[in-house]
Amino acid sequence: MSKTIVAENVTVGYELYRERQRLTALADITLSIDKGEFVVLVGPSGCGKTTFINAIAGLVKPWSGRILVDGRPVEGPGPDRAMVFQDYALMPWRTVEANVRLPFELQDHGLSKEEVERRVRHYIRLVDLEGFEKSYPYELSGGMKQRVGIARALVSEPDILLADEPFAAVDAMTREAMQAELEKLVAETHQTVVFITHSIDEAITLGDRVVVISYRPGRIKDIVEVDLPRPRFSYDVKALPEYGALREHVWGLVKDEAIRTARGAWT
Amino acid sequence: MSVTDKPTARVEAGPPRLQELEVTKKDLWREYGPWVVTALNLATFFAVWELIARLGWINPLFLPKASDMFAALWEGLTTTAGPGAVISGSIRDHVLWSLRNLAVGMVIACVIGIPFGLLMGANRYVDGLLSPYVWAISSMPRIALVPLLILFLGFSVQMQITVIVLSAVFPIMINAWAGVKTTDKSLLAAAKVFGAKRRQLYTKVVFPYTLPFIIAGIQQGIGRGLVGVIIAEFLGGSRGMGYLLQRSADTFNSPLMYAVLFVIVVVSLSLIQLTRWAEARIAPWRRLEGL
Ligand SMILES: Nc1ncnc2c1ncn2[C@@H]1O[C@H](COP(=O)(O)OP(=O)(O)OP(=O)(O)O)[C@@H](O)[C@H]1O
Ligand SMILES: [Mg+2]
Repeated sequence: MSKTIVAENVTVGYELYRERQRLTALADITLSIDKGEFVVLVGPSGCGKTTFINAIAGLVKPWSGRILVDGRPVEGPGPDRAMVFQDYALMPWRTVEANVRLPFELQDHGLSKEEVERRVRHYIRLVDLEGFEKSYPYELSGGMKQRVGIARALVSEPDILLADEPFAAVDAMTREAMQAELEKLVAETHQTVVFITHSIDEAITLGDRVVVISYRPGRIKDIVEVDLPRPRFSYDVKALPEYGALREHVWGLVKDEAIRTARGAWT
Repeated sequence: MSVTDKPTARVEAGPPRLQELEVTKKDLWREYGPWVVTALNLATFFAVWELIARLGWINPLFLPKASDMFAALWEGLTTTAGPGAVISGSIRDHVLWSLRNLAVGMVIACVIGIPFGLLMGANRYVDGLLSPYVWAISSMPRIALVPLLILFLGFSVQMQITVIVLSAVFPIMINAWAGVKTTDKSLLAAAKVFGAKRRQLYTKVVFPYTLPFIIAGIQQGIGRGLVGVIIAEFLGGSRGMGYLLQRSADTFNSPLMYAVLFVIVVVSLSLIQLTRWAEARIAPWRRLEGL
């Protein structure tokens, strides 16, 4: 299997100009991700998960170490990578439809006008927002906005999907349906997915591997292989005995870190 | 391989999600009630005014009868002054003159204020270079500059328009600047991820984000610009609402003076309302977020 994303000793953080300090968000992360693999990042709040996928997206530059995507160092964002943002990041002046169409407006994906419109319609339907094409984000609920963000990331069918807690704001039922939809989609498109979640169940049901990140500065604490047969939404994966064991294991790893956040972020 | 070839979505026929609203009496009242209340309110106001004036409690020189004011207003708006007439009771010409100057001044203020504000917001060096002057002039009372302008330009239309421009340009500039400066970082990040080049960041994110700020700036600019118009006309020339106010006071024509004040109120309210409407059309999302 070819490696799509390779992070070598990545250390990255932020300059806090006001306090004249630098904050190390992530320290010495080494991780390689296969093409078509579904990797889930879990870890306590503030441990640097968003920072890591921002670095893969090319939004922040590592202080040291490097990130390769398909063998080339990341210089900036590219059409091979798309992202679902934790805070949705929808343009408030654009309708749902126009927000989903944005990737095609910003760069040429080599598609005809009709194909673009077909894609936009298709992914709006996929996230169950038909009938809201002409609505503005302020007219939508949090979960609906998040689904617009998901459609916008999927619409260009990128090789790599970076998803920052994409289902955090949707209810449990919709969430399960969307997880199933995502698993199916990824199986068909062979997309590589880096997925952040606070839900251990979500991590295990979706991921091929679960990367547990420790509290600040974030380091890789452990990587858990999830060897459950796919498609996992075609049967009751949670009933398997291995599932319970995995869950215990990951929960144990995360809990230690969660306690260390000292604010009791039991998420 | 593309997934779009096969529709994968689960589409179930459910209840339609958008349903027509039923209009009840309560809704009608909510919609038109405020208008009825305002109309009654104003009618009462003018009736009480009329009554007080008729009872003669206040010298009619200071407070004419409301009916006299409306008569002067009617006459002033339906007649035009003959050529050479200094004061003829015509309000229309003066109002149009002032509005014309205001419009010219506002256009100039926008043409200067918007690009410079945007540029200052976008470029640190331009900002550093210009901001001392902008903040200095914008924080001083602009009226203090009028004697200087008169020295340079005399009691001319150019002087009046310069006063208007100086009054209106800074709110526009500073608002445009603030819009650029406060552009949501995560919107910029999203645009970058989806492929925006530098120019597109400005056209597709910064400018739309800043547009409602600019409209707010124009709104403030109109308010200040009106002050500029009146003051400039107080000081010189022989036309405009400010001149007419001064002139009607000099000639003890208080119904005319009140009529001009009334027109000024109506004009400013209409202009503010116009920008509100424009804002609601151009930036509907601000309605809710502003609450
Ligand atoms: N723009 C920024 N400027 C300064 N510090 C930042 C910035 N973004 C994040 N940080 C800091 O970096 C650390 C990691 O942040 P990050 O957003 O990556 O955490 P996270 O794991 O995604 O957390 P959460 O689960 O709450 O989303 C945090 O401690 C935060 O304070
Ligand atoms: Mg995060």
